[in-house]
Amino acid sequence: MTQWDESQTQAVSSDITEKSNALPAKYFTDPEVLEIEKEKVFGQYWVYAGHANCIKEAGQYFTRTIGGRQLIIVRGHDGDIKAFDNVCAHRGSKMVEDTPMTDPGDAKRIKCPYHLWTYDLEGELKSTPKSFDEASLNPDLEDEEVQEYDAEENSLNDVHVDTIGPLLFVNLRENPMPLAEQAGVMKDRLEALPLEEYEHATRIVSEVECNWKVFASNYSECDHCQANHQDWIKGISLNESELEVNDYHWVLHYTHAEDVDDEMRIHDEHEAQFHYFWPNFTVNMYGTADGYGTYIIDPIDTDRFQLIADYYFRDSELSEEEREFVRTSRQLQEEDFELVERQWEGLKTGALAQAQLGPNEHTVHRFHQLAQEAYDS
Amino acid sequence: MSTQDQAPYVAVCPECDVDLRTETPNEIVEFYRRHYRVTGHDVEFERAQMGLDEDVTSGDIKDVVWQLQDRYENGVPVGVIAAVMSDRGLSIGETLDEIHEVRMTGGLYEPQDDHLGAF
Repeated sequence: MTQWDESQTQAVSSDITEKSNALPAKYFTDPEVLEIEKEKVFGQYWVYAGHANCIKEAGQYFTRTIGGRQLIIVRGHDGDIKAFDNVCAHRGSKMVEDTPMTDPGDAKRIKCPYHLWTYDLEGELKSTPKSFDEASLNPDLEDEEVQEYDAEENSLNDVHVDTIGPLLFVNLRENPMPLAEQAGVMKDRLEALPLEEYEHATRIVSEVECNWKVFASNYSECDHCQANHQDWIKGISLNESELEVNDYHWVLHYTHAEDVDDEMRIHDEHEAQFHYFWPNFTVNMYGTADGYGTYIIDPIDTDRFQLIADYYFRDSELSEEEREFVRTSRQLQEEDFELVERQWEGLKTGALAQAQLGPNEHTVHRFHQLAQEAYDS
Repeated sequence: MSTQDQAPYVAVCPECDVDLRTETPNEIVEFYRRHYRVTGHDVEFERAQMGLDEDVTSGDIKDVVWQLQDRYENGVPVGVIAAVMSDRGLSIGETLDEIHEVRMTGGLYEPQDDHLGAF
């Protein structure tokens, strides 16, 4: 229930029937929480890294920062995709420049520019300069006493990678739960669709002034749609729609008011399907375009996040219709940005200590529960 | 008119149609870096109200820093340099590359992060 007094706040309620306590407001506004999230949210769970179609050839790579860790995601010579910390095993230098998925790099090997330690695409140390084989500058050491650098022992720090179709996920934990467990039914459902047949067409990145969880919560419910997405909601029969909640994943099934041509959907149901995957990834199948979109909701700091919106169509060149479709999607984003920035203006005053959730905000409730569980872990 | 509308520094990515409005020029540079990291897109100044034109006559980055450094206690913000160079046709990315190049020759130094002095 709503609390204006910080001392009266409680944990997120176990269900949403009576006392529907939201995540206490301090978890949105306290700057220390982002540091906790780096370890307990982004450092614990499978997090979306990018799309395999953007690195089809061996040696193609991109970088991605997750939970403060800078990663290289690269396709190896064996065709498998691997991820490493973008940090040299010698003395910790950052190795490759920041490289977006949309403009991938290409390398036969990964070379640190500092002392030229060079790794293969599997992350094993392949060569060091001559200055590491002999001790010519060290009067206390003979050349024959110089250690040999074992390729495996001095390899890059690898990070777990797994996939759902062409969608690449990484996990920073040493022994993570399987991606299949975190994804649950989402994995089977998405893998039943031909997602890999679609090419990246455009990326639009916005910076929004609110905590990332405010936007994530807003995405997860549609009680605000009637009043705030008036163009979009015209095509949706909200009463026939359903918000489905699973362990780490929820789906917003929005039934179309009128049937849409089968060619305009990549799934069978006559609906838009918006999948939210804890902690910060969505797959958006609008049901009105032969393509799909993804969102990454990446925190910048407590007060800001980046929304990385990617759109995939049959061809990487946008047709006029597809461009118009992206514009419509952008309109929805902008409408949401205005709402979440307004909510943030209120939340950050500190007046409200704990919000409450309505009966159709069960998806938001699940999101808040997962956040609470992560903080308490 | 809101405070944001009056912001003296405004940068925009034409491809994403997103902008940043701020009173702090270095925030524009941070915005550029964050945006470039995930898109590869350059962002452009849409507005930069510096009121400096009468002081800055050169198009050379080192000279620009030289001419402006007396105005700032501990280095000229790179965002101000980027705004000046934007008037001379350089994108933010090109300005940062050029600053790096001149720094590597010893002509510029950073008395504090993202602030420049000329030597």
